[in-house]
Amino acid sequence: MKLQSLLAALALCTFFATSAFADVRTVIFDNVATEVASPPAPLATGEDLWVTLADLTKATKFVLKPQGVCRDELCFPIPKARKSAFLSLQGKITWFNLSEFARLTKQPTANDAEHAVWFFGPRPEEQNSFVSSLMAPNFRLPDASGKMRSLREFRGKKVLLLTWASW
Amino acid sequence: MKDAGKWIEAAKPEYTVLIDEKHLVTRLYDMVNVPTAVWINEKGRIVRPNEVAYVDNRYTSMHKLQAEEYLAAIRDWAENGDRSIYALSETELKERLAPQNPDWARASAEFGLAEYLYKNNQGAASIKHYKEAQRLNPDNWNYKRQAWALADAEKDYGTSFMKEVQKLNGKPYYPPRRLPETKKKN
Repeated sequence: MKLQSLLAALALCTFFATSAFADVRTVIFDNVATEVASPPAPLATGEDLWVTLADLTKATKFVLKPQGVCRDELCFPIPKARKSAFLSLQGKITWFNLSEFARLTKQPTANDAEHAVWFFGPRPEEQNSFVSSLMAPNFRLPDASGKMRSLREFRGKKVLLLTWASW
Repeated sequence: MKDAGKWIEAAKPEYTVLIDEKHLVTRLYDMVNVPTAVWINEKGRIVRPNEVAYVDNRYTSMHKLQAEEYLAAIRDWAENGDRSIYALSETELKERLAPQNPDWARASAEFGLAEYLYKNNQGAASIKHYKEAQRLNPDNWNYKRQAWALADAEKDYGTSFMKEVQKLNGKPYYPPRRLPETKKKN
């Protein structure tokens, strides 16, 4: 009997573990992956990603404010006529449509519905800033010993930035 | 390091070697192939944007590029800095740089998603996203070669590196470098 109880308990754990995994969605924003809660049924269908306001900030560092959706000094006002495309009150929780926000900011996106992963690329003005400034985009990467290096630390020297792969 | 380490060790580099597992540099600079180089001056300004950067002739039979002229250009720039005829002025550089085409931006997002899925043990699921990245930016050989290296190119993508090179049908594998024909004396 004891063994049966144990097996039943294990089966239950497996069931909960599986359903918990299905309720998690992954957002990749600024190259950082963050798990966010799944929305209730009316917002869960389709390719758009709805997130709670807490998850919006956790995943993107953007915050919903009266003047718009903001990060530091940057603010994108939500078009008044289309407010319902961005915000939806479900019970007591306000959900935010991150995919609609990406369309507003012209941010490129990709998603995999089956695995519940959404990827958000840089906005055009971020990606293309060097085209007008002509300044080499800075980056931080580990060297062969694992120490983090940045392009900026080479200021004052000429840099030949050469990429290569072992394919 | 698992994949590239043996070449790095064999080279005994005196320069800084960086490991870019997320393809960050190729995304930031919109690079589409390797080897690609960018020249950056002491102030952090680009003086030559993306261009093919072989420093020896091991694949010259394939791409017809001679390393010597490129090495001579690098040496001239190292000596003369922004006065080198190979260092582009701001006006010349602006003519060569263009904002990223929106399809390429979407391709970059699909590629990023594919990479995430692959690294999280969803190799089979990654294939359709690598394919979409390749469809949206067919000029990007990094997207093709990364995808093929992580799968069975023939079985999963119905192609191979040599088949794709043959499809170019005379079109150069690398966009031609535009180095000045002759070196002027300063």
